[in-house]
Amino acid sequence: MLKIVFGDVENAVYHPPVYFDNTYRDEWIIDPLSVKMIRDVDRSEVIGPKVIDSPVLGSISVRDLSGGVKTLMLMKFDETGKIFNASACGDNCAKWIYEISKEKDLTINLHHIMSFDDVEGFEAYMINTGKMVRNSTEYVDEAFRIEER
Amino acid sequence: MKGSYHIIVQNSRVFFEFDIKRNITVIRGDSATGKTTLISLIDEFSRLGEDSGVNISCEAKCVSANNANWEGIIENTVGGIIFFDEDASVVKSQIFASKIRGTENYYVIVTREKLSNLPYSVDEIYGIHSSGKYSDLRKTYNSFFRLYDVDSIYHNDEPAKRLIVEDSNAGYEFFKAIVPESVTCVSAGGKTGIQKLLNDSDRSETLIVADGAAFGSEMNELYLYMKKHPEIKLYLPESFEWIILSSGLVDGKRVSDILSKPEDVIDSNDYFSWEQFFTHLLVEETKDTYLRYSKSKLNKAYLNARERKAVVDVAEIIKPILGICL
Repeated sequence: MLKIVFGDVENAVYHPPVYFDNTYRDEWIIDPLSVKMIRDVDRSEVIGPKVIDSPVLGSISVRDLSGGVKTLMLMKFDETGKIFNASACGDNCAKWIYEISKEKDLTINLHHIMSFDDVEGFEAYMINTGKMVRNSTEYVDEAFRIEER
Repeated sequence: MKGSYHIIVQNSRVFFEFDIKRNITVIRGDSATGKTTLISLIDEFSRLGEDSGVNISCEAKCVSANNANWEGIIENTVGGIIFFDEDASVVKSQIFASKIRGTENYYVIVTREKLSNLPYSVDEIYGIHSSGKYSDLRKTYNSFFRLYDVDSIYHNDEPAKRLIVEDSNAGYEFFKAIVPESVTCVSAGGKTGIQKLLNDSDRSETLIVADGAAFGSEMNELYLYMKKHPEIKLYLPESFEWIILSSGLVDGKRVSDILSKPEDVIDSNDYFSWEQFFTHLLVEETKDTYLRYSKSKLNKAYLNARERKAVVDVAEIIKPILGICL
């Protein structure tokens, strides 16, 4: 299930891409879900755990992946219990956040209202208000009422 | 600092080309569009100059700053354009807003956050668009596009039953006086008050009039909300004072020249947002006339038939929504 908390919270990583650079494991990169996310968000192909083929930048290292896809991998693989700031992710990461939350209880931190409009069957628990939202309209209405950012 | 700056940032693989014309510009949008790449190139050029292999073409000095060095960079930069990537959380603080106010620099900030402390324009929020290859086909060409196409937000011309005006004084008094009795006119008492008013249970057709020159912080969330609530419409002139200045009531080529290219006149050192400049200009231009303007209380001369019509004609697009016939 996806849980969303707006505003500053304890145990949250504000800028996940740097945390990723210093904690990721090679096996995360070649995981089938990572390969799909990198292909979709970064439009790049995983050649191996240390090399990615980017149509823009050529052969790049893992550190050159987008902040969005690094944050997604942390959401998927990190087991420290940290909460990651999904405001480091663009709206093109929303469907992957939801995909990850189907497999595990995932709490994300937001400092802006992310759009989940393109996510089929979207629902989430809003920690700030304790309400369950059953679609993206309910989510936007509820997020609009929450003052914390 | 004033003026518009054309900026080209490139290396052997990527080419960014864009223009900056106000003191605060915000870049946001999808992941992997090149935001961090752009800031990284500027950062490398800041540290190593031409030895970085990065080429920057701009009349103003372009530098990057972060959480650790931002105060020093701002203090030591005059007439420059300072770029912040999204890891620079300091940009959302009040101390940052205080520090950049009255400086001789422009600021470009990558963030998806609201930045409520900064009065930036809805027109200066951009995404980065990659549009194929540049020149020798080895470089990817990237340019900015305006993220919020305000004109496209008008879902329908359904008459509004409620008008929410951001202003609490002169602007509100003017709109309250011109709308038909069937329209309830309320002041939001500032931009943050709009969200509170929309959260009430009133679901009637609503038009919001706000100062676009400083409404950037509210735009993303309101834009998402409006996509879900087509009964909400939005009109964003630069400011109420800009409407009056554009009406022709304040005669003079000087005013029309200024309005055609405000960036050439408005100095970031003197005005934190264009809205403040337009208020100052209107006060100065009308001080010895029957149209003497005060922001705190509307001069009733603006409600005379001729003056009222001239002002409302500038806001032509909202006349059918408010059912105004003059």
